[in-house]
Amino acid sequence: MSEPVVPETPQVPEPEAPSGPYVYDYAASPQRQIVLPKTVPLPSYRTYLAEQKAAAEADEARWVKMQADFETAKAKAEAEGKEAPKPPVRPVPRKDDHDMKTPWPQEANDPDLLRLQEILGDKVEEIFEQAGELTCQVEKASVLEALQLCRQDASLNYEMLADETATHYPAATGFAFSVVYHLTSISRRKRLRLRILVPEGFLPESACAVYPGANWMEREIYDMLGIRFANHPDMTRILCPEDWEGHPLRKDYPTVGLGQRDIAFREDRGGMLERIALQKAGQLGINLKQPKAE
Amino acid sequence: MGINQLSTLEHILITTKVEKVMNWSRATSVWPVTFGLACCAIEMMAAGASRFDFDRFGAGIFRATPRQADLMIIAGTVTYKMAPVIKTLYDQMPEPKWVIAMGSCATAGGPFDSYHTIQGVDKIIPVDVFIPGCPPRPESLIYGFLKLQDKIMTSSLADRYKDIFEEVG
Repeated sequence: MSEPVVPETPQVPEPEAPSGPYVYDYAASPQRQIVLPKTVPLPSYRTYLAEQKAAAEADEARWVKMQADFETAKAKAEAEGKEAPKPPVRPVPRKDDHDMKTPWPQEANDPDLLRLQEILGDKVEEIFEQAGELTCQVEKASVLEALQLCRQDASLNYEMLADETATHYPAATGFAFSVVYHLTSISRRKRLRLRILVPEGFLPESACAVYPGANWMEREIYDMLGIRFANHPDMTRILCPEDWEGHPLRKDYPTVGLGQRDIAFREDRGGMLERIALQKAGQLGINLKQPKAE
Repeated sequence: MGINQLSTLEHILITTKVEKVMNWSRATSVWPVTFGLACCAIEMMAAGASRFDFDRFGAGIFRATPRQADLMIIAGTVTYKMAPVIKTLYDQMPEPKWVIAMGSCATAGGPFDSYHTIQGVDKIIPVDVFIPGCPPRPESLIYGFLKLQDKIMTSSLADRYKDIFEEVG
């Protein structure tokens, strides 16, 4: 018997396995690069007034320059014996169509804001109204006091913490985040926004003592932005996995790519199972951590 | 006895292969896991309801535990946090088991080219049928399921133990 003819199999080189975590090729799509904001879009009455003042001063300076230019041109024309140029006309400031714009901040007239300022005094940094919404910015150290006042004061009586959230402002100086408390008074049908500005690394006081519903919201803020709260009952991540690195809602966090990082499955990710086992064992009176007898 | 005349035995007996009978029974009684992740799960429920009636193909019995299921329909976005759960569910399913990746999210991440989404469920578990769409209509799911039935019907025990047979010679 002759040996069966075995066809030669062509040698195909094995594809190279990707090494390391996935890194997005930003050169391939430059529109996806992280662009940190240059401005601080934080609504504030004081900033609004400063902006208006700066704009008025710029207009005035432009008008002065136009007049000076006219004087020199006039003198030059007289020396050359030509006809004098036309005198300048002051440009009328363009009227803003306020219906089409974001509502601008206004001075506070609401009795709630005035009462907060009256009681808290210097601890209130700023009060203003914008589109009928009340905003009160307090010192970052006295936020719990302000919350207690809003909840317990008979004339304020804000029973509900509707939302608590934060924003990252990388371009700001003196602070990095604004933490905002949206309060609702069901009995008085009013809403109030408390705001604090916190720098990186500052631990604001947790609102759980006054509003227990703040528990998960503060965990979400910690998860998404990395602001830890002092005296919080359980300051752990709530949305991301426990072993996650970084805080996704920060402006410098990459928006693409990290989802494709190497997915490794461990038996006990983040030590969660061990924690639960220890908890259960503690309830049953078993010491799991006891070393074995030699 | 003439050739064209059937014998008594041939009237009552059908000859076939064991493998074919097994494949036929498996393909016509595929039980999926009750498992939905996002909006694709709504379409999956619609496919299981009376209008489209997934049960016509033997796949209408959605089991509440992976230990009684043969098929896993990944219906929705697979997040990084959900990935170990899916892997655990898949590992708990008994052999033979199949996976359908339903919709563009489960197939390739969909619009979520982001930090939290796994770009295709095939990065964590083997997938038999990919169904495109965002979300796919129940007809698409049924078509994908028919493709899976074709795959089950043409599968062979020899394929499963191919490596061992080749080693033996």
